[in-house]
Amino acid sequence: MTQTDERFAYENFEWIFRQILQDLGITRSVLAFRIMADPAAPYFLISIRLGRARSAVKVSDMAQLNPHTGGTAITITDEGWAPALLNKLWQRYGRDRVEQLTRFEMLVRGVGMDELSSLELDPGEELKSKILDAVWRVFPEGFTVRYNIVDDRAMTIIGTEHDMDPRWIEIAKAVHKEMSVKEAE
Amino acid sequence: MYEVLMYDGGVYRVNELYELVEDVGGFVIQKTQIQVQILVTMAIPEEERPAIEAKTRELGGKIVNVPLAGTEIAVVAPTLGRHHMPHPTCDIAEQLRRLGAITVVMGLARGKGRRTSQISADEKAIIEEYDAAVFVLGNFKDCILEHKVRLFEDIETPVVAVCGPQIGSLPHCEAIVCGVGRKVERMRREEEIARLEDVSVAIEKVIKDKRRVLEEDPLFVHPAEVKDRIAELEPVQRSLRPAPIVLHLDGLRVKIPYREWKDQIAAVEVYGHRLGDIAQISDSRLGGSTLIKIKTRSEVEDHDRRKRSG
Repeated sequence: MTQTDERFAYENFEWIFRQILQDLGITRSVLAFRIMADPAAPYFLISIRLGRARSAVKVSDMAQLNPHTGGTAITITDEGWAPALLNKLWQRYGRDRVEQLTRFEMLVRGVGMDELSSLELDPGEELKSKILDAVWRVFPEGFTVRYNIVDDRAMTIIGTEHDMDPRWIEIAKAVHKEMSVKEAE
Repeated sequence: MYEVLMYDGGVYRVNELYELVEDVGGFVIQKTQIQVQILVTMAIPEEERPAIEAKTRELGGKIVNVPLAGTEIAVVAPTLGRHHMPHPTCDIAEQLRRLGAITVVMGLARGKGRRTSQISADEKAIIEEYDAAVFVLGNFKDCILEHKVRLFEDIETPVVAVCGPQIGSLPHCEAIVCGVGRKVERMRREEEIARLEDVSVAIEKVIKDKRRVLEEDPLFVHPAEVKDRIAELEPVQRSLRPAPIVLHLDGLRVKIPYREWKDQIAAVEVYGHRLGDIAQISDSRLGGSTLIKIKTRSEVEDHDRRKRSG
């Protein structure tokens, strides 16, 4: 264990991680988190209790679809889904075929209504990538040897500079187990 | 002894100020015009300050103290990753710029990590070209005390270390400012602004000490006087870089390539001497620049004596 007083570091890391979560708009999707570090070892560990992402939803549940010459017109009824839907449409059909006419209206050329209405959006993936982004922003840059434990309830990442000591992995597993059963803070 | 001041006012009749600066034996270091407003950084003999102040009042402008004017300072972070950039590294650089310094933000190629953190000889040589350096370090006390302190152990330029945890003293640096650490947003809270001011106070002290050492054996000419002569060179006038000539405490950085222009620079005449005789002219580690280190009065006198006798 380190002999120096590292209170500043722990408080600072907790503070900046909260700010990063706020910047990325995922404060509510992280129910709890724990940051542990031993600079003398050295290892850095971050464990996150994941919140539930919104469940997958079909396009027909959040938008109205109408046939249009050469394609389908979409009128979004739940605006919260607009960015995710636009992204998905761009990925699938390309920017040339998807046009955003107004804030709520989109036009997809060359795609039938049936195909679009069965299209599903899964916000879980997007949430995970945002949480990983937050972790990389806070994780020390030089700690590139990493070990991850991920399941539906929690995500734990431990990193070090050189060889990963099996004892640290045991610590990570214990923290992960504790975090998985933790209720929201 | 020259004092560096900044005039902040309008362009109307500003030529009168330039004439007065010239009449009292001073120099205009930099002019930054924004439409009808102008900032003029100038070096004047200390005793002439009242005259300049009176003219400034007459012109409706104001005099701003810029204690770091005429210096070039490096702000060094272990890397240029988002862990160190833009906050707080850029905030510190901005704070120093507000006090008149020209600042350069620099990230080390292999500065990340704890035991793996390194600085190369090239990087050290680059830092030594500056008047002072600020090293912006992180959060872990153990990491700073055991490893990061080695980053600046052989650097001859005065170093101010900035870090998060409270540390009483640190070897190899002139001053240490604690309570900064890692940031993910601008330093704009009251206590953060106070830390930025602590950094500028530490740097001011370092610069003051360096000036005092220089005064013991004064330079043959003030760098601002050489700047005036060099500014007449054609490649400098053609240069599109924002500050083609940067003043140092003991010389200048001229942002034109050394290899092409060293002879023309050495041939510039200053008080009856070739610049090549009263200064050391060398290539800068930063591409496309030339460094000029002005010799002290005693060095030049010694050189003249030897020339006469031999």
